[in-house]
Amino acid sequence: MNSQNAIELADRVSRRRARGTAAATAVFLAIQVVVPPVFRTEGIAYSGPRSYMWAVNAAALLMLLLPVGGYIFGRQVRALVNDDVSRHNSRTAAAAGFWVAMAISLGMYAFPAGRMLSAAEALYYVVTPTVGVALLGFAWLESRALRDG
Amino acid sequence: MGDQLGNRLREERARRDLTQAQLAELVGVSRKTINTVENGVFVPSTVLALRLAKALGTTVEALFQLR
Repeated sequence: MNSQNAIELADRVSRRRARGTAAATAVFLAIQVVVPPVFRTEGIAYSGPRSYMWAVNAAALLMLLLPVGGYIFGRQVRALVNDDVSRHNSRTAAAAGFWVAMAISLGMYAFPAGRMLSAAEALYYVVTPTVGVALLGFAWLESRALRDG
Repeated sequence: MGDQLGNRLREERARRDLTQAQLAELVGVSRKTINTVENGVFVPSTVLALRLAKALGTTVEALFQLR
């Protein structure tokens, strides 16, 4: 593959990744609204299967912040897709997620809920918006970087 | 230390009749990188600034200025 083709392919892969990341994150957040997982604080430490699916989905989404885009297209395209700009965007998005996680965690600490929360449920309330902000932020930064003009 | 980095990348590229993709190929980076540097969204590393200047046949000082 010549370098001009690699640059065009990297551009397309980057666009698809930005759109795909935004869409996958939107679906993830929508699922939490429509069918939120069930957490129990009494009896056997059991939370519904949806809570485990949530954890798997959140972990999979976070992988999108790693420099893995364009993996199947070879080293040249992968390097162009995950260039300095994308790595900078990924770090910026991760930092935004960090501050969201800190704000929610400290807020939950300062203003305890009116009922008992299990550790799993508390983590759910921290991790879900953190993943949402980080991933949507990354998608937006990547889209802005690719915008012509 | 509130200086911002301005650049003449778009003008210099247009003067040489190059597209963003063609300049990206010359420098060995993605078009996204050229686009974000031109728009002032991304501050290039020293190495990238030197490579951009070399590809456009100019100097880093002529290409980038503090505002």
